[in-house]
Order: sequence, then C-alpha cells, then structure tokens
Amino acid sequence: MITPQTITEYVRQVLTDAQVSVTDRTGTMDHLNVRVVSDLFKGKNVLDRHRLIYQALDEPLKDGRIHALELTAETTDGS
Amino acid sequence: MAHPIEEEIQRELQEHKILIYGKGTKTAPQCGFTVETMEFFDQFGYPYEIINVLENPEKREVLTQMTNWPTLPKVFINGQFYGDTDVLGPMQSKGELKPVLEKAFQPE
Repeated sequence: MITPQTITEYVRQVLTDAQVSVTDRTGTMDHLNVRVVSDLFKGKNVLDRHRLIYQALDEPLKDGRIHALELTAETTDGS
Repeated sequence: MAHPIEEEIQRELQEHKILIYGKGTKTAPQCGFTVETMEFFDQFGYPYEIINVLENPEKREVLTQMTNWPTLPKVFINGQFYGDTDVLGPMQSKGELKPVLEKAFQPE
C-alpha cells in the first residue's frame, strides 16, 4: 500500500522536475500504473527512462509496498 | 571462471532469439505480465521462449544484476535486453521494434 504523494516524492528524488500520475489498477494501491513526465528523459531511450523510475522506486518495490508496476515515461512535449 | 548461472543464461540467450524470463511456463503462465508479454509477441508470428524463474531466486538475482532491472518478466531479443512490454510497446509505436526483430531473424 503506498500513496501517490509518496510515489511522487520518491520519483522526484531522481527526476526533480517530474509530474507523476498514479492509477490504482486493482483497488489495493499496490498494483499501480505510474505515469512520469520529465524533461530529464530527453535523449534517453524508453528502457533507460524506465530504469530511472525503477531506481527511484527501488525501496517501495523491495519492501513490497509496490507489488506490480506499469510505467509510462514521457517528456513534457509528449515524446 | 564465470558464474555457472551466468553461463546457463548465456547459453539460453544463444538458443532463443526472443527469450522471456518470467513467472510460469508457456502452457501455465503464473503472472498477468507474462501472459501479456506472450500476447504481445503473438502479434509478430516470430517464435519465442518462456523460461520460468519463479522458483529460482538465485537465477533471478543474477538476471537482475545483469540487466539493472528489478522486475519480471525480462525480455531479451537477439541476446540484448529490452525490459518488458512497457518498453516494447512504446518502441513498437515509435517504429523502433520492427528493425530489431527483422535483424534478429535475418538468415545468417
């Protein structure tokens, strides 16, 4: 169980300008769809963008607060 | 001497052009994401293999270290790591995936 605010705080430790939106996929707040918009993604391929998000969310993933994640990673101009 | 599990993984990567390390098997997948990955690759008609690492924490750890990627499934194409369908989906819509698959299945 984790809140969108906590997820945003974690993500912003790595991606300081991130806009984060969280959707609860199963009602248990641990199977989540996390969309991150940040211009720090510019020039990075999809894989490396997702690696940054996983790095930021490493702790809640390890301690089980997050069980399953679906990620979207875009820059502010949607690329 | 390389780690025996690393050698095992390298052999598996040589054997299968599209290789998915996941939870469960092709006939009995045990995770929604593994099913989703199979369905994703079914679009293309290329052969792929699922290797079940659900009950193999040591191999999962080696794979996590190798790829710097904490979750399953883990997809490899032509021996190269590509994350999972969250990565492959956007790559497909950007037209980046087709050339990778074509190159993998090009006759030598």
